Amino acid sequence: MPDDHDSAENSERRTRNYFPPTVRLRDLAALFVRLGASNFGGGNRAWVHREVVERRGWLTEEQFLSGYTIGTILPGSNPVNLALYIGLRLCGGIGAACAVVGMIAPAFALILTSGYFYRQFGAVGPVHFILGGITAAAVGASLSVSVKMARRIPVNAVSVGLAVGSFVAVGILRWPLIPVVLALMPVGIAAAFLRERKRGRDR
Amino acid sequence: MAVTDSRLLDLILVFAPLSLFSFGGGQSLFAEIQHQSVGIHHWITDAQFTDLYAISKATPGPATLMVALIGWQVNGFQGALAAALAMYGPSSIAGYFAVRWWLRRPPSLLTRAVEQGLAPIAVGLSFAGVLTVIQSSDPGPLQLATTAVAGLLLYYTRVGIYWLIGSVTVIYAALVMT
Repeated sequence: MPDDHDSAENSERRTRNYFPPTVRLRDLAALFVRLGASNFGGGNRAWVHREVVERRGWLTEEQFLSGYTIGTILPGSNPVNLALYIGLRLCGGIGAACAVVGMIAPAFALILTSGYFYRQFGAVGPVHFILGGITAAAVGASLSVSVKMARRIPVNAVSVGLAVGSFVAVGILRWPLIPVVLALMPVGIAAAFLRERKRGRDR
Repeated sequence: MAVTDSRLLDLILVFAPLSLFSFGGGQSLFAEIQHQSVGIHHWITDAQFTDLYAISKATPGPATLMVALIGWQVNGFQGALAAALAMYGPSSIAGYFAVRWWLRRPPSLLTRAVEQGLAPIAVGLSFAGVLTVIQSSDPGPLQLATTAVAGLLLYYTRVGIYWLIGSVTVIYAALVMT
């Protein structure tokens, strides 16, 4: 893939020469409240893209992709991080705060409302049964996303070892997450760094 | 009041560190959320965990917002708010500085290495989260079939998740009526 690096640089250059439209804070906040209320299990990225890039032209494709990648790498929820990136990019720190709160607040209100109904009726068998069905479907959704993620990682001994290792440690042995991630993170980054550097030299 | 304070503090002490370690989306966190809130702190039972997980999946918003429901079980509205702030505050503050730094710097060997190096760990944790939810929900043949069908549909088709959850709700409601 000799062109990867070049195209990344070119897109970065385009990104930097691009003059973003002036976006009013009010419009930004209003959009993210709306997106927050319609952010349903994983489909969020598509909605944000449609509203921010396609309909409003607030960001270019490259900027959006870059923001999405950053949102995925950073700790925290991906939609929240994407909102943070877009808010920061368009309206600075206050924009980031508005976008993040806009993304979370409607969902927070809705989930507490659902929780209220659950506590009122949750002890009843049928509700538990139906929720069990939703859980089963959600497990299928998570499996599908996990497999899609797995297909994107490079196939080599270190990557596969890290994936299997973190699965066994946290999923099967039930070791606490944070020490496991802290131990594996440097290994993963160092291995990727050496691999990338070697590829750069071989080119 | 002292009891309330220590409960809120417990919620924050459990969820704030997790906030900073949820790589690859919230999915990776469910094993730890279950471990902490069912196993260690006994805030909720396994059955409640499964129900709250389903509720969080069936409402909009990040799935990790289920910590707000756990917070509510512990200490009402204050608990829900504390849990949500703990879950999204630290990662958002860290994210703010990281994005600012990132926007000022061109892509480099190091940024690519960070991206690629964390991906396999995120994948492993994601599968661990799936396993935890399966174990705590103790599925029967019907639920396993639902998982398989939903997984295959989402993997191979462009079916929307609203539609899928709606259909499952209707089918299960019909089954429970008969």
